[in-house]
Amino acid sequence: MTSAAPTSTPVTAPGHEEAARATPSLARRTLDVFTGNKLALTGVVLLALLLLFSYVGPLLYDTEQTHTDLSRANLSPGTEGHLLGTTDLGYDMVGRLMVAGQTSLEIGLAAGLLATLFGTVYGAVSGYFGGWVDAALMRITDAALAIPAMFLLVVVAAIITPSKGVLILVIAAVAWLSPARLVRGEALSLRNREYVQAMRMMGGGGARAVFKHIVPNAIGTVIVNCTFQIADAILYVSYLAFLGLSIPPPSADWGSMLSAGITYTQNGYWWLIFPPGIAIVLVVAAFNFIGDGLRDAFEVRLRK
Amino acid sequence: MRSLKAAAAAVLVLAALTGCTREGGRVDMGPTGGVPVEGGTATMALPPNATPNWIFPIGPPGYGASYNAGIQFLLFMPVYDAVLDRKNGELTTHGPSTLGLQPRYSDGNKTVTLPLRKGVKWSDGKPVTARDLEFWFNLVKANKAQWGAYSVGTMPDNIKAFETVDDHTVRLRLDRAYNPDWFTANQLTRMRALPQHAWGARIDGGPVGDFDRIEKGAKEVFARLTRHGKSLGSYGSDPLWKTVNGPWKLAGWRDSGQVTIVPNEKFTGPQSERPHLDKVVFKPFTTADSEYNVLRSGGVDYGYIPPSVMAQKGRFEDKGYRVDPWEGWAATYIVYNFNSTHAGPLMRQLYIRQAMQHLVDQKAMSDVIWQGSATPTLGPVPVTPKSQYLSKAMERDRYPFSVAKAKSLLTARGWETRDGTARCVRPGAGADRCGEGIEGNDPLELTLLSQSGSTETTNMMQELKSSLSKAGIDLTVRQQPLNSVLGNSVPCTAKDPGCDWDMSFFGTAGSWYYPLNPSGEQLFSTGASANFGNYSDKKADRVIRAVQYSPDMKAVHEYGEYLAEQLPVMWMPNPAYQVSVIRNDLRGIEQNPTVTFSPQDWYFVKHADKSDKNDKKNADKKEADQ
Repeated sequence: MTSAAPTSTPVTAPGHEEAARATPSLARRTLDVFTGNKLALTGVVLLALLLLFSYVGPLLYDTEQTHTDLSRANLSPGTEGHLLGTTDLGYDMVGRLMVAGQTSLEIGLAAGLLATLFGTVYGAVSGYFGGWVDAALMRITDAALAIPAMFLLVVVAAIITPSKGVLILVIAAVAWLSPARLVRGEALSLRNREYVQAMRMMGGGGARAVFKHIVPNAIGTVIVNCTFQIADAILYVSYLAFLGLSIPPPSADWGSMLSAGITYTQNGYWWLIFPPGIAIVLVVAAFNFIGDGLRDAFEVRLRK
Repeated sequence: MRSLKAAAAAVLVLAALTGCTREGGRVDMGPTGGVPVEGGTATMALPPNATPNWIFPIGPPGYGASYNAGIQFLLFMPVYDAVLDRKNGELTTHGPSTLGLQPRYSDGNKTVTLPLRKGVKWSDGKPVTARDLEFWFNLVKANKAQWGAYSVGTMPDNIKAFETVDDHTVRLRLDRAYNPDWFTANQLTRMRALPQHAWGARIDGGPVGDFDRIEKGAKEVFARLTRHGKSLGSYGSDPLWKTVNGPWKLAGWRDSGQVTIVPNEKFTGPQSERPHLDKVVFKPFTTADSEYNVLRSGGVDYGYIPPSVMAQKGRFEDKGYRVDPWEGWAATYIVYNFNSTHAGPLMRQLYIRQAMQHLVDQKAMSDVIWQGSATPTLGPVPVTPKSQYLSKAMERDRYPFSVAKAKSLLTARGWETRDGTARCVRPGAGADRCGEGIEGNDPLELTLLSQSGSTETTNMMQELKSSLSKAGIDLTVRQQPLNSVLGNSVPCTAKDPGCDWDMSFFGTAGSWYYPLNPSGEQLFSTGASANFGNYSDKKADRVIRAVQYSPDMKAVHEYGEYLAEQLPVMWMPNPAYQVSVIRNDLRGIEQNPTVTFSPQDWYFVKHADKSDKNDKKNADKKEADQ
């Protein structure tokens, strides 16, 4: 009978080892939930592909996207080396989709982020301070919500010549209401937590409470909402472009491409309609999948 | 029936003579063949947002739309109008459909005598006489500010005396000698004959009298008629509008703008003007898309399609329609603002305007963007249909598309392209310098206000921007709704707020529709009402005045050639008024370039093509819809 040789590994209590294995970091657990969601991963892959297509694509597939060429207008796919044909002004369709993708994604991301940022701070201030501040700020929100967003967008875009900056501001100006209300709800609950009360008893001010405690603790809600805001903003860009209120040419976005293509429905020029339409569907779906995945990931009950 | 056959035969002969085409500069007479039949209902689609809203032949400002005038002419015979001369297929000012016969000029063209057609009666049996013209003249003279067609110095200001020679002859003493062609085409065509015996009361139910012969009375009579004119809902029942002398009378006028006319059984005008159809319906549409859908479902006999659908012409032809662009007697252009705060000095340089015109590829735009439904504009006088006003020299494109020529014009005057934008490197007023008011290093940057809502216009502006950039001209296109563009493109001086617009385009359906004589006194004369860009040139003023005053046709040619060269505006492709889609078995349609219509010439034929099989069914369906 030989005795067992002592092991070189440090001895830990069996209970502690199990506990260490069972409780990975918060970020790790969040990531695990997110990566376990197949739709969320699909969204990430889709978004990555669309970003690559829009930003890396033009480096690999160089086309003339500044000057028109009427002699090559409306060529069908595969003609004269144009993979997806040409537009009604002779632009290569694949190259146009890349350029348009940059505009749609940039406006969508910027407007979504701006709306979320402003809405978050607005909602946090309203919820944390409460009382007449909350009442005043929320009545403003209610009033703004009563005006149809599309109506406002069309009016503003018709008055001001649309540019990237203008569209970002205009879309953000109507999109911040939703995150503001959501974060205000969170703030109403968070402001009564012990750590917030403790900070106040120690002389902490309102700004510190909002930016150090309320906003960081509502970050899950904020991030999830942000993805939906981006998807909505991309749709708004498309709506406006469809109504003829897009950035002046030679810039393009997927919405204005779709709008131009619809004109030729009767002519059977499908390549002017389906590619930008599919691109809009894919990018909106990607952000929604990611948003759904993040919502699950931030849901405490789903974390293992 | 006999007259119908005669008309059909005449059309056949004319078709053989003219080839039924616009290529020879004549008005298209449409297809021939089939057996003409009397009766039937034809439905015509009105342009998008065109809502007929005025019946009284003296239209106040804002009510002078062509569709209002077109319908009025069917109820009230015009004295003179742009009508088709069937002998040579060209437009003239008088014919079977007009009350006036060939006007006679005398006294060195200071007097004009207007003989009126005899035997024409109002629908209540009273004869149409010179008194009815005098009634119109008195009303217009006393209420000219309320008349939409009035502009200072023209009718009635230019008539010193209105004299009645006899019941069927009127003599006008003019304030000076005028070019008879211009005066007839652009002034006498404004005259109307109104039923004085029925409309001459000052108040409703009051006695009819010669109240119009004194100014106060004329104002009262006019006010009463205008009041009735404003009551759109009562047009169908108001007894005032039942006294007509045209080939048609009103059967219904809905608030929505749908107008139904039926033959005036008491029409006493020429036999050839008697309607063949039982009923004509003018149907309004709020959008071109809604019209297109109704057209595809067979809901209109005479409609239109957007130019982008021209490629699908064959589909409509297979369904028993013909597709025929309706060319307007119009010019299409981009207005230059010569007083623009920023670009005024640039616009005032002829060489810059010439360089820019060289960069407008009108042929490619017409063929590709407008799918062949537009024609290049080469000057102020329309190139199609051909006319006596067009000289050989005017048919030549002075500024063919050429980037190289544009670049050389700019380089020769001291412009150098850096980072894609041309900049002035030789400022000053010399022959090889940029020009007065242009500073050193000034960029060639311009802003264009363009109407939104049309794919063709948007594409045209993209193409223009692209072409201009090839010569270093940076064009920013701002698209706005039509009303905003018109509201912002008002004449101004450099110091006025809002005078920062450099160029403006509002010509998706043609910028300017001329009366028969394409003179430019309203467009290009210094200070003219429609001279939005404040173009001012002494020689231009002189040649324009010559068109109004000189009987020599050379005056029109000189005016056309000079302005084609001087480029008071940027000439752009002139689109068709509409791309018409007409049922094959509906015949007799002449698409008058002055965009009036004559449904009294329309008739259905049997055995036109396979679509005839469904004629009865379609007619019954339309009847039920209405």
